[in-house]
Amino acid sequence: MKSYITYTCFLKLMMCLLVTSLVCAGCKKGFLDRNPQGKYTSDTYPYPSGTGPYDTYLFAIYAELRSFNVHSQAFICATGIRSDDGDKGSTPSDGGADAIDMDNFPVQPNNIFVNTLWVGYYNLINKANIAISQIRNSNTVNASEEIKKQSEGEARFLRAYGYFMLVRLFGRVPLIDQVFDDPAAQSNVPQSSPELIYAFIEEDLKFAAQHLPLTWDAEKFPGRLTKGAANGLLAKVYLTQKKWAQAMATADLVMKSGQYNLNTPYDKIFTEEGENSSESVFEVQATASFVTPTANGVQYASIMGVRGTGNWDMGWGWYTPSRNLDTSYEAGDPRRRRTILYTTGDSAISLYGEILPAGLPNLMYNHKVLTSPVMRRTVGSLSGNWMNIRILRYADVVLMYAEAANELGGAANIAAARTALNTVRTRARGGNNSILPDITTDNQAELREAIRRERRAELAMEHDRFFDLVRWGIAEQTLHAVGKTNFRNDRDVLLPIPRTQIDLSKNVLTQNPGYPN
Amino acid sequence: MKLTLALILMCMLYLPVEIIGQERINLQVKKMPIAEVLASIEQQTGYRFLYSDDLPALKNKITLNAKNANINQVLEELVMHTPLTFNSLPDKLIVIKEDPAKKDIKVTGLVYNEKGIPIPGVSVQVKNTTIGTATDSVGRFSLIVPDGNVVLIFTSIGYNYKEEALNNRRDLNISLVTAAQSLEKVVVIGYGTQRKRDLTGTITSIGGDDIAKMPNTNPISSLQGKVAGLTIVNSGRAGAAPTVRIRGVNSTGNSDPLYVVDGVFQTNIDYLNPGDIESIEVLRDPSSIAIFGLQGGNGVIIVTTKRAAKGQTRVSFQSSVGIQKVVNKIKLTDAEGFKKLYDMQLQNLNAPAFDYTNYTANTDWQDLIFQHARINNNTLTVANSSEKSATLFSLGYNVQEGVLKYDKYKKLIVRLNQELRITDNIKIGGDVTGFYWKEDAPTTDVISYALRAAPIVPVQADEDLYYSMPSFQRAQIANPVARINQFKNNVIRDGYRAVGNIFAETKILRTFTWRSSFYADLGFDNLRGYTPLPYRYINLGEKGGATDTTFNNLARTSVTQEQVQTRKFQQDHTLTLFKKVNKQHITGLVGFTTLFIGSTRVGGSRTDTILNIPRDPDFWYLDIVNPNNPLSNLGNGTEEAFMSFFARVNYSYANKYLLNLSYRRDGSSKFSKANRWGNFGSIGLGWVLSEEAFFKKISSIDFLKLRGAWGTVGSGMGLPPHLYLPGVTIRSSGVFGDRVYPSVTPEYVPDPNLHWEVVRGIDVGIDARLLNNRLSSEITFYDRTTKDIITNITLPGTAGNYTYKTNLGTIANKGLEVTIGWRDKVGDFRYGISANYSYNKNKVTSIGDNINFEILGNNGANRTATGLSIGYFYGYRQIGIYQTASDLERMPVLPTSRVGDIAFEDVNNDGLIDSDDRVYLGTPFPPHNFGGALNVGYKGLDVLVEAQGVAGNKVYVQRRTATFAILNYEVNRLNAWNGPGSSNVEPILDASRGNNYLFSSYFLERGDYLRVRMLQIGYNIPQKLFQKATIKQLRVYISGQNIVTFSKTTGYTPEAPLGDPIAAGADNGLYPVPAVYSVGLNVAF
Repeated sequence: MKSYITYTCFLKLMMCLLVTSLVCAGCKKGFLDRNPQGKYTSDTYPYPSGTGPYDTYLFAIYAELRSFNVHSQAFICATGIRSDDGDKGSTPSDGGADAIDMDNFPVQPNNIFVNTLWVGYYNLINKANIAISQIRNSNTVNASEEIKKQSEGEARFLRAYGYFMLVRLFGRVPLIDQVFDDPAAQSNVPQSSPELIYAFIEEDLKFAAQHLPLTWDAEKFPGRLTKGAANGLLAKVYLTQKKWAQAMATADLVMKSGQYNLNTPYDKIFTEEGENSSESVFEVQATASFVTPTANGVQYASIMGVRGTGNWDMGWGWYTPSRNLDTSYEAGDPRRRRTILYTTGDSAISLYGEILPAGLPNLMYNHKVLTSPVMRRTVGSLSGNWMNIRILRYADVVLMYAEAANELGGAANIAAARTALNTVRTRARGGNNSILPDITTDNQAELREAIRRERRAELAMEHDRFFDLVRWGIAEQTLHAVGKTNFRNDRDVLLPIPRTQIDLSKNVLTQNPGYPN
Repeated sequence: MKLTLALILMCMLYLPVEIIGQERINLQVKKMPIAEVLASIEQQTGYRFLYSDDLPALKNKITLNAKNANINQVLEELVMHTPLTFNSLPDKLIVIKEDPAKKDIKVTGLVYNEKGIPIPGVSVQVKNTTIGTATDSVGRFSLIVPDGNVVLIFTSIGYNYKEEALNNRRDLNISLVTAAQSLEKVVVIGYGTQRKRDLTGTITSIGGDDIAKMPNTNPISSLQGKVAGLTIVNSGRAGAAPTVRIRGVNSTGNSDPLYVVDGVFQTNIDYLNPGDIESIEVLRDPSSIAIFGLQGGNGVIIVTTKRAAKGQTRVSFQSSVGIQKVVNKIKLTDAEGFKKLYDMQLQNLNAPAFDYTNYTANTDWQDLIFQHARINNNTLTVANSSEKSATLFSLGYNVQEGVLKYDKYKKLIVRLNQELRITDNIKIGGDVTGFYWKEDAPTTDVISYALRAAPIVPVQADEDLYYSMPSFQRAQIANPVARINQFKNNVIRDGYRAVGNIFAETKILRTFTWRSSFYADLGFDNLRGYTPLPYRYINLGEKGGATDTTFNNLARTSVTQEQVQTRKFQQDHTLTLFKKVNKQHITGLVGFTTLFIGSTRVGGSRTDTILNIPRDPDFWYLDIVNPNNPLSNLGNGTEEAFMSFFARVNYSYANKYLLNLSYRRDGSSKFSKANRWGNFGSIGLGWVLSEEAFFKKISSIDFLKLRGAWGTVGSGMGLPPHLYLPGVTIRSSGVFGDRVYPSVTPEYVPDPNLHWEVVRGIDVGIDARLLNNRLSSEITFYDRTTKDIITNITLPGTAGNYTYKTNLGTIANKGLEVTIGWRDKVGDFRYGISANYSYNKNKVTSIGDNINFEILGNNGANRTATGLSIGYFYGYRQIGIYQTASDLERMPVLPTSRVGDIAFEDVNNDGLIDSDDRVYLGTPFPPHNFGGALNVGYKGLDVLVEAQGVAGNKVYVQRRTATFAILNYEVNRLNAWNGPGSSNVEPILDASRGNNYLFSSYFLERGDYLRVRMLQIGYNIPQKLFQKATIKQLRVYISGQNIVTFSKTTGYTPEAPLGDPIAAGADNGLYPVPAVYSVGLNVAF
């Protein structure tokens, strides 16, 4: 009897163990080995072969150029609203102290736009570092040395652009040229001097200029970075450092490349049709469609768009042209009305013949970002996310050449400078010989003034005015003259290092001179 | 006896049959053994009895009163309650012998409590056998026993165990004594149960009644204020789950507890009906949660649903209907106040005054978006249990509207639970819960619009024509009423969920129990959405501009569909040993479990560029739009798995010395192979002093236990799967001209060494019951440390603004939990009072072990640093307002400080204000949590008052920091500084004064609050009034929830969100937590 009970119990136990072992067997080895579902890792991504082996990483840097942190509200504040070309715009207290301080100085270290710019450009740089590291170290693709160099050049151009913005905005910044495998421990890098940053930018741009192609397939890659873009930006880097000879020579390389000219009429340059024209050296690419009205675009035009109602509800109305800009043009300069969109009086009519409504909160808006009514209807949006941003135009390169040549001095250089300047004026004239006469002076100082005036008229409401004032050393006097009397040369030429970043770094980062700790 | 034998032999020689029954007998005996009774009959009459002396029944004592009876009648009575029978032979000879047919004896009885009230469902068992039954609904039982001398065991939850010798009785009256309150109560622990008195950890059990009587659709909401150490932050949104924290915040990442519902691991219990819950156990200390391993690190909430009680057939119905309303509106300026403040602001900016000519309205936007909302909970339960099976069926239906218009949530729950006892040793069963929910959710951004929209704007001209906001906020703020109407009922979300399990249980050798369970949880969520055409808007003219009416003729209608399928499979196999040797009780457990969780999601949307899709849900399917129109779609999925082995030993000696050990080995697919497996465990010790001989003399103390436990668990909850792999995102793209190319970018920075957080802690406690069990108390001290905390940190700008999850540092939580209760009865008047209090001190012991950066949240308002509370508020301390120019000379200032600005404290006394003057300003996490309840009852009437609150924390009024446009003001700004002496708190109205937006104590409010959580008055209608109906119980009640809150905060609720540990405590215009007034009914048949 007893043995029978033991036997049945034993049997039961065996059954239970059998069930368990079956269940375990079903899940034993692979049970915990789960792969991501519907997601690639950098190891499993089937890199496309058609567009070049490293394009997928390069395109991620390009995508960053369209981000809100890089080329949007903060960018417009720092490069535009700070200058004498324009005011904050919108309604008086819109944007609060963060925006008002950009207009009137001083900018506080806790200013939100300052942090935005820091984060945005470092994000761009990090994407470039990722691409460079992939090109140099990855074994996933086999590519020719030539393709590798070209791809690296493209990434290094964009990294250099990021650092060029940072060094002009902040002065001393941390120099990061690699991808950290343990960023939380390693990436807290102290700031480097502007000299080191500039040297680094020059290296990157020289490499890019050496390896980038002169052109790309215009069908497939309009607006992709070229040798001309690298040299054009390098010229500006030299110019900023007052390296006149290098600036002149590098600008000359662009002018002699045969890829660019001043044939695009001024009023076409800023239209959708004028995108990637022979004027375009470096342009942030954006597009939009009915299905994807924003994701492939950039929130740039809408920040400055007319702040109206209904069909005029095009944007926030920020960065409005200043009275000072309005009155700074030479008589009859057609560039004035192409730059300024007036909202009152007889001039209140747009490039496309649309009459502006009364009662808008601002007197003037940036006419260069006005979108075409056809595109608004096609995309089904008023916000203009499809508008490219003209970062570097050919006229800018020509004027840089003129400036560098004039500063270098000597009759031949001054003559060359004057000739270059007058080519820009000729185009601006648009065939009307009664306006904008050629500059004839051979006095270096007079020509310097003429070139500076021309830069302002030609590039108004674009992104160089503040940086130009700073590098010419006339920021304080110029800004005080337009009422921005808080500006101080010993402080406001640079933005403060963002308070948040100093906090995050545990004070490894230090504040710029003149700003409160 | 020898004589008797001789007589027997003699008698055998006689022949049958002579009629018996002529002689009359008179006999009166009391408790006399049968043998003696027979002897006295022999003396009185001529009858002689033949029997074996060995018959045990002859020793049975019997009471007889026979007058003038014949021998048959007497003998019938004599053997009635015995296994004996008799047989007449000739010559007045009668044979007494055992009757085989009478061997099994039928016993009936009634079981009642001290008050004489019958107890249904009491288990009745014959000792040392498997023979047993249970009492019926009126406390009666009947049972066949093998003989008249067995011992019966009576057990019932809530009553003391009782053994009763049958002593040949056939009808019993058994009185059970209520268990020394809840000490004998069994609580649910991981993979089993344990007597509360044997616990060495800290577990609080809340009965289902306490949950069902609160008017909440989510059962967890009802726990607020009931458990020491448990923090619940409720949301007022219809159907929303609250934030739950057990003993503070242990991690900088996910701090949600694990839910275990009838064995299934869950992340929420949204699918349960409050009326279906039998009990909720809150497991707080590491020793109790160690058995749950890696998923239990933030504490565990075990939910047990109702089962049919043994021997019971019961139908019950619970229903309540209530109205919810917003009790604390945020005080905003009206049109007059707004104009005054906006004028002041423009004046301070030297800007021209605003033209109010066309803005003459005075609109209270809050009133227009809130409503009095309905809430209705219903539960019907049918339970039936018999010898072989137990069945419970329940149907629940809950509807909750939100106080925000058009916010509505419905759920329907069907549950079936069945258990079959195939043999005495084999039991199988299963559970199925079917859940359907439907939500009509408006866009909640309407609340922030209503707080910000200028009150000077009128609402609408007609049904499709609304007013737009003035130019100073048109681009940022939508007309709140237009917005709520445009998006009302535009998104239909609903879903189905089926949660079920089957189990088999078998007893082996009486000592062992094997149980295998398989669980499945399948969810199917649907979404159908519609984007309507916008309304037409009237733009009131400003500065002489004309008033015009605009319509966005570029907008098109579109439809969206989305489906999510979630699946979860779990299996548990356990072998439990239960052994009692002398005074030693031992329960052992070994087990194995696996868990798989997966999901799949697909969705799409199409925009119709030509036709306008009607605003009618019947049309809202993708196919309503011709596929040549623009469309987009999505599809993704997840998979993760866990596998674990576990074991536990609970040992007690003489109910005095307790030892609990547990162990779990856990593996998770979320981590790389090298970091996948971990070991967790605990040890607990207890000493019941009151069982010691020397203690028995102290009569005022009924129970006293000292306990201590140590445990280690892991915490990896809430981590997305595969973070150790270098995930990429392919969403951003390269654009050239109008061509768009795919790009690849890292989604985050992977940490290949990522592993779970390790939680270690010790609990020391004392449990006592005094004064005849009327006073009970539990006091626990705990000290817990979380090592290698995982934080979702956003790396600073220089590292590329990526999120990065890594193991960072150590956080300690130390605290005290006290629960005290008093319960007594004076005549018909009964009352109880209970209170709980917990104190938690959160301290970051070290941070940045693996990171060189500061951990900041909310743009630096919250900081996490060594030595202080996690995510504390860090900023300047306001000491006043600079009243005059001489204040600026006299006092430390920022370089840009001006008159009318906030004056900050110069903490380091260096004569100027700079970032070094920022200090600890408080913690968002309340260190003090308390709750209390008062129950009073008189006959059928009962009254319940519950209160709950927190203290010691701060709330960040973040909603006041927005500067992106001119927004409506809160009334505090009416006191803004406007000249010397005007205000020393509120700075000047000037948006250009950036200093006043620096994070400072100006933006903090004291978070202390005390809330009357519940006031309920109920009446049990006396049974005699409906005796003819088969109603067993009928209770009606009225209640008010959250009726009064005492608080200094200015928001809708003092409960600021604590979801993100490193950026907690910010009130950005939260959804209001409403007051609920309801009436209810409970009826049982």
